[in-house]
Amino acid sequence: MDLFIQQLINGVSIGAIYSLLAVGYALVYSVYNFTNWAFDGFMAFGAFMGFTAIASMSMPFWAAATVSMILTIVLSVGVEKLAYQPLRVRKAPRLFMMISAMGVNLAIVNTINKLYTGTLRRFPIPDSWTQTITIGQASIGQMDIVAAIIAFILLAILWIFLYKTKWGLGVRASSIDILTSSLMGINNNAVAFIIFATTGVLSSVAGVFFGIKYAVYPLMGGPVTIKAMIASIVGGLGSLPAAVVGSMILGVLETMVSGYISSSYRDLFAFAFLIVILLFFPNGLMGKETGEKL
Amino acid sequence: MSNQKKLLIFLGGTILTIVTLFVLVQIAGVGYFQNISILAGITLIATLGVAILTGYTGLFTIGHAGFMAMGGYLAAILVKEYHVPFILALMGGGIFAGFTSFIIGYPAFRSRLRGDYFAIATLGFAEAIRLLLNNVRAIGPIKLGGSFGYMDIPSLNVLCWEWLGSDGWNGVIVVLLFAVGTLVMTHMFVKSQYGKNCIAVCQDEVAAQMMGVDLMRTKMLALFISAFFAGVAGALMAFYYGYLTPGFFMITRSSDLLAGVVFGGMQSLIGPTITSIVLVAVPEVLRGINEYRLIAYGLFFVIVMIFRPQGLLGYVEMNFDFVRQLWRREPAKATGK
Repeated sequence: MDLFIQQLINGVSIGAIYSLLAVGYALVYSVYNFTNWAFDGFMAFGAFMGFTAIASMSMPFWAAATVSMILTIVLSVGVEKLAYQPLRVRKAPRLFMMISAMGVNLAIVNTINKLYTGTLRRFPIPDSWTQTITIGQASIGQMDIVAAIIAFILLAILWIFLYKTKWGLGVRASSIDILTSSLMGINNNAVAFIIFATTGVLSSVAGVFFGIKYAVYPLMGGPVTIKAMIASIVGGLGSLPAAVVGSMILGVLETMVSGYISSSYRDLFAFAFLIVILLFFPNGLMGKETGEKL
Repeated sequence: MSNQKKLLIFLGGTILTIVTLFVLVQIAGVGYFQNISILAGITLIATLGVAILTGYTGLFTIGHAGFMAMGGYLAAILVKEYHVPFILALMGGGIFAGFTSFIIGYPAFRSRLRGDYFAIATLGFAEAIRLLLNNVRAIGPIKLGGSFGYMDIPSLNVLCWEWLGSDGWNGVIVVLLFAVGTLVMTHMFVKSQYGKNCIAVCQDEVAAQMMGVDLMRTKMLALFISAFFAGVAGALMAFYYGYLTPGFFMITRSSDLLAGVVFGGMQSLIGPTITSIVLVAVPEVLRGINEYRLIAYGLFFVIVMIFRPQGLLGYVEMNFDFVRQLWRREPAKATGK
């Protein structure tokens, strides 16, 4: 039972980080209809910027996290301007957007690999933060709880922004029909800026917390972002709440498998789960039956 | 372009290729040249499979390394443990890879996954296969070796010895024969009614469905054929290296195959043929830039998509009609302008 509680809390903590990324995917997908494959690179970039800020400039953690966030926003918006906007303006098929995003990802990840080499690094945080809290027999890392709380706070802020402010209304209008909303006076470039700045923040936070939980290395984003994509498919395509639910289920499933079966089968179960969900719930767990848009 | 000009370009290209090959053999040495041609041939076979699925049917895949692994392991097991003839084992590997593709193909197509989400599904499938191979030490008496790899697979040269009877080059000859055979077969598929169905699905699914194209069957067939060629390529790879580890089938291999198709061009076979050979040969010849290869691929992806989204030879097909037309005096075409 103690193992169960411990793994449940770990699962929620990992699920919270997945949900940051999955929500980022859903946000880009709902407006631009393509998956931002470069997330993987953004995440590694965010983690490495935080790492560098602490390790070589000896900044305090929160300052480093802020620096990483700002730099990742700059990268994300820059990539949007250079690699996605020319295609979007030309109304290129979304296949091309996707290839372009994959190219950005390959370039970012391998540039980091070249600059920092591929070794695993420990994210430099004070030792007192890595202590565990013991509840009964279950021991839970402090940082896991902090990560989950911060992820939920960020998601709440995002929800308030999207559903309670005028700017958020603009983004939601664009997600229904970007052309019509621009005719109604919504600035498309501002919407693009908001969306890609948000994804920058989300991926930077996810990168820093994953760096703390496991290690910082150039390819760190790959496995995590695949899980986040699986989570958003499992939940239902293009919907933000579904992405969060999918992430939680996947996070808990993974930690349960590594707790009760073996951690080497963890990823296998995640992929098998995707195939099973697709077999029985073709539109995801919370997805609606969507007809073909003509 | 006039037929004479086409003939000149073709002859020039052929002479240039032969001269380049000759110079390469002189510089790099025969053994090195043989290795590169075998690798290029294997990559070409798998890339043509991806071209059918991605270039012609419009289904994006980043998981063909998984099908290569399936074909490679099965063919290696058949030859090593059960002493099945080489050719039968290759075909068996290909067909097995084709059937495993149904595991992911059926649920994905049924839920109408397209574009990015189909790509994720294939990626997840390939990773699942790799993880499984990493963890399975043995199936009954067959020692797969898990992450250490499946060792002592009979090599290509030994296997081909009996029916070619010459050293060194027979691996090259066999792989190139298979590569040419693949090119001919994919060309025939693309020109057939099934191939036309694939192109229709790629261009507009709804319109294709209204014209009576069965989406499910067309996509499954394209997936089966492309997985088949990936499986054959994986099997050839197993016999070439003489051992297999799950590390051969990482995501980078799938993205290398995809790069060949994207750079070569959509709806073209000759484009991916050229680029896949170049992409194998260039990093091997210029070892120094190998480290920057993936960065350059990434930037090329973006540049190609922005400036030439159809790829190098997108929608272009090489044919030899002009040779025939040279000998025929055509009546002057009526120009309507």
